[in-house]
Amino acid sequence: MKRWNAKLRILSWAIFLIGMPVFVWGASPYEGKTLTIVVGYKPGGGYDRYARLYGKYLPKHIPGSPTIIIQNMPGANSIIAANHLYSVAKPDGLTIGTFNNALTTGQLTKVEGVKYDLMKFSWIGSAASDAVILTVRSDLPYKTFDDMRKAKEIVIGTTGPGSSTHDFPSILKEFTGVNLKLVPGYSSSADVMLAIERKEVDGRAGSYDSIKPFIDRGLVRPVIRNRISAPGIENLPVDEELTKDPKGKAIMAVNAAPTRIYRPYVAPPGTPADVMKILRDAFANASKDKELLAEAKKSKMTIDFASAEEALKVVREVLNQPAEMAQEIGKYIKFGD
Amino acid sequence: MLDAFIQGLFVVFEWQTFLIMLLGIFLGFWVGLLPGLGGSTTLALMLPFIYKMSPVEAFAFLLGMHSVVSTTGDITSVLFGVPGEGTTAATILDGHAMAKKGEAGRALGAALMSSLIGALVGAFALALAIPVVRPLVLSFGAPELFMLAVVGIAFISSLSGQGGRALLRGFLAGLLGLLFSLVGQDPQAGVQRFTFSQLYLWGGLDLVPVLVGLFAVPEIVDLAIRGTSIAGELPQGNLGRGAWEGVKDTFRHFWLTIRCSLIGTFIGIMPGLGGGVAQWIAYGHAVQSAQDANERSGFGKGDVRGVLGPGAANNSKEGGALIPTIAFGVPGSSAMAILLGAFFMQGLMPGPDMLDKHLTLTFSMVWTMVIANTVTVVLSFFLLNQLAKLTMVPGSILIPFILFLAFIGSYTSNNHLGDLVVFLFFGFLGYLMIRSSWPRAPLVLGFVLGRIAENNFYISTIRYGPSWLLRPVVIILIVLTLLVIVYPLLRFRKGRQAAEEEPT
Repeated sequence: MKRWNAKLRILSWAIFLIGMPVFVWGASPYEGKTLTIVVGYKPGGGYDRYARLYGKYLPKHIPGSPTIIIQNMPGANSIIAANHLYSVAKPDGLTIGTFNNALTTGQLTKVEGVKYDLMKFSWIGSAASDAVILTVRSDLPYKTFDDMRKAKEIVIGTTGPGSSTHDFPSILKEFTGVNLKLVPGYSSSADVMLAIERKEVDGRAGSYDSIKPFIDRGLVRPVIRNRISAPGIENLPVDEELTKDPKGKAIMAVNAAPTRIYRPYVAPPGTPADVMKILRDAFANASKDKELLAEAKKSKMTIDFASAEEALKVVREVLNQPAEMAQEIGKYIKFGD
Repeated sequence: MLDAFIQGLFVVFEWQTFLIMLLGIFLGFWVGLLPGLGGSTTLALMLPFIYKMSPVEAFAFLLGMHSVVSTTGDITSVLFGVPGEGTTAATILDGHAMAKKGEAGRALGAALMSSLIGALVGAFALALAIPVVRPLVLSFGAPELFMLAVVGIAFISSLSGQGGRALLRGFLAGLLGLLFSLVGQDPQAGVQRFTFSQLYLWGGLDLVPVLVGLFAVPEIVDLAIRGTSIAGELPQGNLGRGAWEGVKDTFRHFWLTIRCSLIGTFIGIMPGLGGGVAQWIAYGHAVQSAQDANERSGFGKGDVRGVLGPGAANNSKEGGALIPTIAFGVPGSSAMAILLGAFFMQGLMPGPDMLDKHLTLTFSMVWTMVIANTVTVVLSFFLLNQLAKLTMVPGSILIPFILFLAFIGSYTSNNHLGDLVVFLFFGFLGYLMIRSSWPRAPLVLGFVLGRIAENNFYISTIRYGPSWLLRPVVIILIVLTLLVIVYPLLRFRKGRQAAEEEPT
């Protein structure tokens, strides 16, 4: 028994001493520390892959080269992660995180369960922007928007309300007079792609990045995009130009805004300014890192960094909608898992 | 094509590739054994490491790892009654029951051998399907997928016990499973169903904590109450010979193993059916293969066929799942969705090119699956005796260890406290069901197929109107459903008649 006590004491001292450096602020606040990046999704998805890519190169750009850990905190389309970053994580710069860009509209339309305020986060920026586009099968005769308007019915497969595959075409249908028939319920956007291949549906909307391989392969053709542009789709008609209804234009603009900050990164509210400067610089510099860019290109991930100010501007633009407008928007833009 | 087939074998055997594959197999071996680590999660974590590898090396590494996970996952299921992977839960029903009868060696031998055959069938199906894969997959739209789910649900009739009362319980358990599948946000209108204002429940109930709770908890309670080792006080005999017996069982029921492998492959090919389904349909089919009522009542109490069916299917489905991933760039399971990322990293475009320009690489994947499973099964046989001895360890030592695995295994699915609540809830439910002899398999079947059926039914109706009912494949599947339901009833009746005619 006595020997056990002695062993325990040695062990607790050892744990204490190993833990010591955490309490000692060295030359850099990150010297010998661990920086945790909270990701609102399971491993393997887009948000996770971006976080792991940055996690690999960030130590190079942070003085003191902290160890970086990715913590997956999936659930409720990343609201759980956002709530955690807002009220649980300590604002010491050792925990940062990323969540769905559509949480902005989620906050605007007062989705149940939202306990964060995006305006109050200490913003780092966004790693990428992404356009949302509508595509139709290449063998169909619809080349322009006018062709589409004349069509009796175009069947669009979606994964359900709350995703860009659903909300983008449903707003188009409402305000531009094009007769889209939405078929929700596919289990993933890849599943919709297969439905296109077997001619069960005629088209699909979604992030340009994720549809691009299928455009390159000649399966689908892009026809309409939102106001965010990207190389290759600059000349597509923008949804806002296709309607005369001011309400429709406004809803489209609000729906498009968050895609400018497609991969947002924040620190908990109240993180000290000196730490925030280190983090912001680190992300900005990592986004210019040649090795990171090469790896991103190989993995078909776009890097298009937006600063904290730009990100906050987008958030403000969305959240500053008047209450009645927010209610209207809530009718068309759902938020969900 | 034959050239590419042979070439594919040679590239896998280049020493560097081969070593990388062995590393993958080693990782997959442990990932499968430990319930806390899922196959697809590990795949995602390993993705950054392939950045500097050549395509052949990268897929030898990833597929080597991935394709043995279900094989070693069966080992945990048999020994402890805790599913090593979400895809190996069905092996518990009879595999663990055999372990409790002191036949752990035999069950492990059967699980491993059927896994190997399953992997081989899956791999060769992949090789053979290459010319016909596109039309095959494209002929299955939403209406056909809905009917496939219905066929699966119909297997409840053979997964329930004997007699009217048991059948009723089976169907009620199945309905309960369907009800559990409704939890979460519905994909048609975006309405929250049964989420009780819990963010955790938005995405629905996760398969892993549900399965671990349902199956592991009753076993742990049982072990605690008996106060002995898993195998009890039974004489163990020669465990090594037991394993050999299991191998022989596989060949005794060779056609069943092949049929279940084919079922697994087919379900793997169909995108959207998911990895958890194959094992249960295969189990249902194995139960159907029983000749009479008496024989059927042995299932769930340690019939080796209940090990062979899921053992084969959960491996063969991997070969199947690769097919849509390679041919369309559309993943057949969550693991394959992550593998798709690997294709992009390697600068490859999944699609028709893989069946033409990169055919050698595609065949190297087939060979990787074959070799990885062969290596694992051969290695496992050397370890079998040691592993089977675990069933003689006293429960008091084993229980904390198993409980730990069960808790960790549940928690890692979302890293959320809710996982543990779900685990405990289903643990309690599982225990209640066992105590009052309600079958658990129908509940799981309803649970894994509920969403698939609902979504595809909705898509079919909104897209085609009622006319989808007249599609030829749908009609065939409707007939198949009726057969699946009626067959065991007829058999049951015949068995009873025979019993009545016998002079008593």
